[in-house]
Amino acid sequence: MAKLSKSILIGLLMIVLLEISAVRALSAESEQEQRKLFREGAQLWPVYCAQCHNARPGSEFSPVQWDSILMHMRTLPNLPAKDARAILEYLKGSH
Amino acid sequence: MPAGRIFSTFLFAFGAATLSLAGLARAADSEGGDAAALKEIRSEVRQLRADRARDRRLIEMLKQELDEVRSEDSHIRTTNQQLQTSTQKLQSSNQQLETKTNKELNQIRDQVTEGPTEPQLARALGGYWGTHQFTIAGGAAADFIYDRQLGQNTFAINFNPETFFRVNDWILFQGSLDAAWNPGTSGASFSSGVADAQIFLNDYVETVLGAFDQPFDDFYEDNSAFWVNRFVTAPLPYGARALVPPSDIGMQVRGGYQWGGLGQDADYTVWVANGPSFDSALPQPVVGQTLNGFNNIGSNTNGRAYGGRFRVYPFPLDSNLGRLELGASTYNGKWQNSLWLNAWGVDFAYLRDNLQARGSYLETYRQMPAGSSPDNRQGWYVQAGYFLSGLRLPFLSRELNGYLERLEPLVRYSGVNQRAVVADEISTTPSLGFSGSQSAFAPHAREVALGLDYWIAPSIVWQTEFDLELPRAGGTLFSFNGASTPTASSVGATPNDRAILTQFAIGF
Repeated sequence: MAKLSKSILIGLLMIVLLEISAVRALSAESEQEQRKLFREGAQLWPVYCAQCHNARPGSEFSPVQWDSILMHMRTLPNLPAKDARAILEYLKGSH
Repeated sequence: MPAGRIFSTFLFAFGAATLSLAGLARAADSEGGDAAALKEIRSEVRQLRADRARDRRLIEMLKQELDEVRSEDSHIRTTNQQLQTSTQKLQSSNQQLETKTNKELNQIRDQVTEGPTEPQLARALGGYWGTHQFTIAGGAAADFIYDRQLGQNTFAINFNPETFFRVNDWILFQGSLDAAWNPGTSGASFSSGVADAQIFLNDYVETVLGAFDQPFDDFYEDNSAFWVNRFVTAPLPYGARALVPPSDIGMQVRGGYQWGGLGQDADYTVWVANGPSFDSALPQPVVGQTLNGFNNIGSNTNGRAYGGRFRVYPFPLDSNLGRLELGASTYNGKWQNSLWLNAWGVDFAYLRDNLQARGSYLETYRQMPAGSSPDNRQGWYVQAGYFLSGLRLPFLSRELNGYLERLEPLVRYSGVNQRAVVADEISTTPSLGFSGSQSAFAPHAREVALGLDYWIAPSIVWQTEFDLELPRAGGTLFSFNGASTPTASSVGATPNDRAILTQFAIGF
């Protein structure tokens, strides 16, 4: 009985360790993805915005306001979703 | 040598000595006492043997106890060594923990001293305010307008706030209100702009439901805001002489996707709406009558309007060829009973470094009631502007060069062709973005606009525009003048006109 409890405990411990490793790996991946989006957004922002109007700097609105404005700005020129996400990441990051 | 053995040897020596002494005594004593002495000696020897056996047992017991003590001592020594090792490990671990804690504490102290960064604070506040949020944007503008033919100058002001209500990351509501203080009115006049829901179904499909700017060409939807339009006025086919309704009520399906490298995009918009309608104040439809602006009269007609727009961007960003946009639009709807208005247009926009250019060409075909010829129209415009940023004139001071590089000179040519115009509809009252020039209403209107924008900030601009109205002769002028049928007269040479408009516009 004691041996069984010990095996279960070790099993649980291994699962927890694996979970922690997975979460850390995902978190690192997410950070990398964000950095990539930011770089792409910095490249797209001056061109895509200037297609109609001067590109407005991220400091003009709060990140929360950019969430709404970028949804609207995605609609008007029909921006590809991934490009809109990149520009949003750049504007929020450069706030 | 073990103690037991020493002890037994001693006993044996003692016994031998005793026997020797006893022998000597017997030799000395009488023989009669020998037997008794021998007996005694034997008794003592037995006693000694017994003692020896007892002592041996005792020795064995002591030896055993000694072994046990030794074993215990060894165990204690091992335990002690283990304890010492554990203590060393604990001390090392404690030191590492202390170092780490001190480092983290210092980091926290530094962070507390520096305070949160703006993005951190904003994100935290965003989370605090919740996911349902209102955002106000929009624009405002104030104009000064002078028209030579009218011989009048006046001011006009517009305030156009736009509210966004974001429900989540795929639903957004948008509504705008337009307050105008135009010449000839005693106060502000209010009108609704757009009011719609933008629902993003996935990365490639979005629906827009409600009242929206007409997605025909780029102008109404993308370029008409005060501070976005590089000029004070709209080009003729999208301003005083609109060829398609500026706005509509209905439903759009739209989306964009990247088909090649970064920047090589394409997008589509298809929509169904209440459709076009023409000036219902006239007693009967005539060629050249004006389109209604934003209203819901279309719901009383016999059908809906259907539109489609497609745009493509052929150059990738890293080609350094600039950003070229090519678009095509169509809009088709019954304006009355079975009578259709069909429109199509093509447009372009080009951006490279400080240069921006755009233009469009569109045609409309309007079926008329029996007895009247079709009402066909054409319109176009082409414009270009160049930012002087980066320009440094050596003979100017640094301060003057600073002003110079905020300037953007512009030029635009626009025109409209139609067979007739209706005199009763011509309004020469200036308003924001409209000079009031009568020449703009000639059947074959032509306009050259020269502009100079001074950019105070990316969305704050002081614009100045000089318009040359250069209409061509020809066409028909219909006039109802209170009658139920119009009188027609030929339009001869319409005089040219000049106007100056200057506007302070802000996008917020």
